[in-house]
Amino acid sequence: MSTFSVVQDGPVNALALNKDNTQVVIGGRNVFKVYQIEDDRFREICNLRTLKHLNLNFSCNDVAWSLSDDHYVATAATNGHVCVWNLTKMGRAMQEQDYQDHKRTVNKVNFHATDPFKLISGSQDGTMRYFDVRVKNAVSVFYSNTESVRDVQFSPHNSYTFSAVSENGNVQIWDVRKPDKLQIQFTAHSGPVFACDWHPEYTWLATASRDKTIKVWDLTSKPTLEYTIHTIASIGFVKWRPQYKYQIASCALVIDCSINIWDVRRPYIPFASFNEHRDIASGVAWRGDPNIFLSSGRDNTLFHHSFNDAQKPANKANPQGISLNAKGEVVCCRKMNIASITPSSSNQNSLSKAVGLMRKISTSQAVDTFHQAASHTYNFNPNNVEQQESSVFLKLANNYLLHGRSVSELCERNATVAMELGKNDVSVSWNIIKIMYAEEFAPSSMSLNANKHEDGACSAENTDDQKSKGGETPAAQFSGGDEETENEDQVDNAFPNYLNVRNGCLPKGDFFFGENELDVELEGAPVFLDYYQYGFRLNPVTPEQIDWTLPTEAFPIRHKILDRSPPPEQFPDHHQSLSYREDSHTIQVDDQLPGMLANIKPCRKPCWDPSSIVIETLHHYASLGDVQTVASILIVLGESRKYLTGLSETLQEHWLLGYIERLSRYKLWNITNQVIKLSWLPNVSQLNQQSTTMHTNCGKCTKPLQRVGWLCDRCHTPEYGLCSICHQVVRGLYVWCQGCSHGGHIVHMKQWLAQKRVCPTGCGHMCEYN
Amino acid sequence: MFECQEISAEHKDLIHDVSYDYYGDRIATCSSDQYVKVWDRNEEGKWILSSCWKGHSASVWKVTWAHPEFGQVLATCSFDRTATVWEEIVGDTPGPGKSGQRHWMRRTNLVDSRTSVTDVKFGPKAQGLQLATCSAEGIIRIYEAPDVMNLSQWTLQHEVQCKLSLSCLTWNCSLSRAHPPMIAVGSDEPGSGGKVFIYEYSENSRKWIKLDTVSCITEPVHDIAFAPNLGRTFHILGVATNNVRIINLTPTDDEQSQQSGITKLDIQTVAQFDEHGSTVWRVCWNVNGSVLCSSGDDGCVRMFRIHSKTLWKQEGVLKGDGNQVPTAMEAAQSGPQHIPQGSPVGSIASQTARYIKLGSISQPSREPWY
Repeated sequence: MSTFSVVQDGPVNALALNKDNTQVVIGGRNVFKVYQIEDDRFREICNLRTLKHLNLNFSCNDVAWSLSDDHYVATAATNGHVCVWNLTKMGRAMQEQDYQDHKRTVNKVNFHATDPFKLISGSQDGTMRYFDVRVKNAVSVFYSNTESVRDVQFSPHNSYTFSAVSENGNVQIWDVRKPDKLQIQFTAHSGPVFACDWHPEYTWLATASRDKTIKVWDLTSKPTLEYTIHTIASIGFVKWRPQYKYQIASCALVIDCSINIWDVRRPYIPFASFNEHRDIASGVAWRGDPNIFLSSGRDNTLFHHSFNDAQKPANKANPQGISLNAKGEVVCCRKMNIASITPSSSNQNSLSKAVGLMRKISTSQAVDTFHQAASHTYNFNPNNVEQQESSVFLKLANNYLLHGRSVSELCERNATVAMELGKNDVSVSWNIIKIMYAEEFAPSSMSLNANKHEDGACSAENTDDQKSKGGETPAAQFSGGDEETENEDQVDNAFPNYLNVRNGCLPKGDFFFGENELDVELEGAPVFLDYYQYGFRLNPVTPEQIDWTLPTEAFPIRHKILDRSPPPEQFPDHHQSLSYREDSHTIQVDDQLPGMLANIKPCRKPCWDPSSIVIETLHHYASLGDVQTVASILIVLGESRKYLTGLSETLQEHWLLGYIERLSRYKLWNITNQVIKLSWLPNVSQLNQQSTTMHTNCGKCTKPLQRVGWLCDRCHTPEYGLCSICHQVVRGLYVWCQGCSHGGHIVHMKQWLAQKRVCPTGCGHMCEYN
Repeated sequence: MFECQEISAEHKDLIHDVSYDYYGDRIATCSSDQYVKVWDRNEEGKWILSSCWKGHSASVWKVTWAHPEFGQVLATCSFDRTATVWEEIVGDTPGPGKSGQRHWMRRTNLVDSRTSVTDVKFGPKAQGLQLATCSAEGIIRIYEAPDVMNLSQWTLQHEVQCKLSLSCLTWNCSLSRAHPPMIAVGSDEPGSGGKVFIYEYSENSRKWIKLDTVSCITEPVHDIAFAPNLGRTFHILGVATNNVRIINLTPTDDEQSQQSGITKLDIQTVAQFDEHGSTVWRVCWNVNGSVLCSSGDDGCVRMFRIHSKTLWKQEGVLKGDGNQVPTAMEAAQSGPQHIPQGSPVGSIASQTARYIKLGSISQPSREPWY
C-alpha cells in the first residue's frame, strides 16, 4: 500500500469510511464527494454537489457513514441542519432527512455502533440530539448546559453510552436512554476540548484540547487520568490506532501540519509523524488496518497513508550527548540499552519509575521498546591528576617566568619547569631559544647583524664580502645563506662594491653613505678582522663608547640601536668548526662598530638565521593546540621578537589572545593580566583598559561627579576644581598631591614644584611631584 | 584513567544534550521530557541538581552556555520550533553563607522557524552576543542581542537558506582578526551529495556567504564541531557521521580571495576513524582543540589526539558501565608500565564495576613521567 492523494476544490473538513473500508466520503464547505479507494488512487463515485439547488445543506462540518448500513451518510451542515443522505437514491431524493432542530452550527454527527438508523449530533448551541433516520424530528435532546458541544462519540463498549466534550473543558458521559440524567461529568482540560475518541478495546477515552495536551482517561469506574501527552499546538482531532493499545493519532488545529502518532506511554515525542499535508490536517480514518489510514486536510487534499512512509522523529533525535571541560573531565549521556532493562536489574525500580512503566506489559508490547526511553549520564573525572593535560597547563602557567630577568635566565628557568612536568619537547625548545636569543653576548656585538628587516638583503653584498674575507669559504657555506654562497666569488672584491655604493648603485637600498662612514668602516674592518682571527670574542668597545652621532647628510635612525645580540653569537666554546661561523659572523658585526653603519645597513643577514626555524617551531606548537608554549616564548623573547620577521602581528595577537582565553578558562586572572600587561600589541594590551572606570566625587557634597570633573551638578560650584596656583578652573588633567590633596593644572604644579617643595596653597605640606 | 560518577539525572525521557559551562563547573542537560536541568558540584565533587524547569512544549534538542561575561545564560532549541534564551537570576541571600534562590528566567523565545529547531549555538565572544540556530527546514538564522545587558531583545540579523534539512551547527571560534566569522552546518538527510557546508560572514556584502561544501561527506551528519582555534592558521572540523572525520580547513591567500574579500578554503580530510563501527552521534573538543571526543552507538566514548597537523591517533575509550574488554591496542598498552599507577584504580574498578577507562599514552617519550 502506498501513499497517494487527490486534490479537491476546497478545504476538506471531515472524512468517513464505509463499513468495508472500501469507500470514503469527504465533506467540506465546498466539497462533498464519495470516492472508491483503489490500490494506488481514489476513484470518484459520486459528487453530491453537482446537484441543482445547492444550499448550505451541502456544506459539511462533519460527515459520518453508518456503521452497519452502507446506504446512509449523515452530515453536520454549517447552517445547523443535520442531513441524512441515502446513497442508493438519485437526485433530490438522496437527501433522506433534513433535521433543523439545532439553532446553531452542528459540530459533529456520529452513528450508533449497531443500530443503522440511529445517530447523534453535537452543536454549537450546547445541545446534543438523538435522531432516528426514519423519524422526521429528533428523538431526544440532551442539554449539556455548556456553550457548545465540540464532539460526540458513541462508546464501542456500551451501545447506549456516548461521550460529549465541550468548550468549557468538560467531558460528559450520557446514556441515550436517559436524556434527563447526565451520567458522569468531569473537567478534563483547562481550555476548550475539541475532540474525543473511545479506545476500541479498553474503556479509555482520549480527549484533546486547546491547552496543548491529549489526555487519556480510564472510565472503568471513576474517571482517572492515565496519560497526558504534551503537544506543540492545540489539538483538533484524535483517533486511536487499531490493534495498538497505546497508540493514538492526532491532528493539530494550528501551526503543525503533520499527523502525529503517539505512544501514550512516551508522551513527549511522536512515535511516527506524517508530514504530507501542506496545511493542517482535519481528520484521520484508519482503514481497518493499523498500517493504513486516510486523512483530510485544509490544504484541499485527501491522503491515503501507509505506515511505511512514516517519519520517526525519535530515530532522528540525538540519543547521546557529550561534553568536555577545561579540567579534562568528560560528561556523557546516552540512551539506555533496552536489553539491559530486565526485572533482575538492580536499578529496575528507579528506572521504571522514571519511564513510567510500572504497569503490566502485555505480550504484544514486549517487543515494542519505543516507549522505554531513558538515558544514563556519567561524569568521568581524570584520576591521575598529575599527568593530566590541564593540571600540567596550570602548573606551567603558574611557574613560568615571563619577565624580570634576562632572556637566557627566563628560558633556562622555563625549560626546567617544563622538564619537571614532563614536557620534554617544550623544555628542549626553551633551551634552544635560550641559546639562540640569549643576550649574554649581546653587549659586544649589539645585534647589528641580526637586523633582518624587511628591506633585508639589499646591501648584503657589502657585508658578505667582508664576511667572506674574514671567515673562510667553508664558513660561508656552513652558514648557508644563499647570498653568501653567491658572493663567494667576490671574496676579494670588496672595493668594487663600495665603489658601486659610492656611485649610488646599491642594489635596492635607499641609503646614502656619507664618505666618512665608509672610511670608517674600511679602516675599522681589518683591525677587527685581525682581532677575530684568533677566535676571541670581541668585547672591547661597548656601545656607550662609540660615537653614534650621524654626519649631517645622514638620515634618521631606523630603530633602536641598543638592541639585543644576533642569534649566532652564543657558541662560547670555540670549536674549530663553530669558530668559523662565529668568526665570519662577528667580524661582520664588529667592523661596523666604529661607525653608524649599523644603521646604514640594518639589513645584513646573519650567517645562520634561526628565526625561520623558531617561527616554524611556534607554528608547530600552535597547530598542536599548545598555545601556552607559543605565547610564553613570544613574551620571553621580548625585544628579540623583531627578528622573527614573517610573523605577522595578527598571528602574534591570535596566539596571545588564545593563551589569555585558555588562562581565563582556569580563572587564572593574575596571569592573564600579566600577559596582557607584557603584551606589545595594542589590541591585547588594551584588554584590561576597557570597562574600568574611576568615579570621582564632589569635594563639597561628596556626590558623584557625573558630567565633568570640575563642576558638581548638585552644588553648582567649581570650587574644588580650581588650580591652587592660577585659581582658574582646571578643565583638563588635574594633578594633586596625595598628601595634602591640593593641586591644579599639571603644568603649573610642575613649574611650582620644580622650584619649591612646599604646597602652593601654603598649607605647609611638603609636596612631591614625580 | 578516569573515575566515573553516575549522575542520576532523572529525566523522564532521552537526554539529548549535555553541556559544561565555560569553566566546567556547571552542567546543563536537556531531554525529550521538555525539561532543562542545571547541575552544580558540591564540596565533595558530586553533581547536585541546581535548577530544573520545563523549557519547551516538545523535545529539547540542544542546550548551550553563553560566555560567562554575559551572565549565566543558556540557550535551548526544541522540536516545538522555537529556540529560547534563559538567564539565571539569583535572589536575595537569605542569610550569611547561604546562596539565594536560583531561578531561570525565559528571556526570549525565537519563533521564526516553521519546523523543528535542531541546533543552537552562541557565537564567539568577540562578536558580541550572537546566536545561530539551524532548523529542519534548512535555514540558518543569526540573531543578535544589540544590548548585551538586555537579553530579552534579539533581532534576526540573517537568514541563510540551505538546500537540505539541517541537523547541527558550529561556530568557528577563532580569536584571530584574520578569520572572519565562520559557521559550519551539517545535514542528516539521507541521499547523495555533500552534507557539510561552510559559511562565512563577508564584511563587504554584509551577508553570510557559502564558502564551500565538504563533498567527501555524503552520509547523514549528526554532529559537527570546530576545534577551538587558539592560534592555528588553519581550522579543524570534527564531524560525526557514520564514522568520525577530522577535516582541516586552510584559508589560502591568493589574490583572488583578497580582492573579493571571500576566503578560499583548502579542505583536507586528515583523519577518519571507523572504530565505533556504527553511527556516531556526537563529537566534542577539549578546550585547546588537541583532543576530539566522539560518542557512538557502540556505547563508547572515544578520544582522539593530535600528533601533528595531519596525524591523529585514538587515545582512549570510555565506557560508562565498566564491563569493558580492552581492545588489542589498549591491552598492549596496559602492559607492565601501567600497573604502578593503574592498580589502585583497578581495585576500585573491580569493586564497583564502573571505573574503566583506558586512557592510553601514545607518546612514548612521555611515559617515564608518571
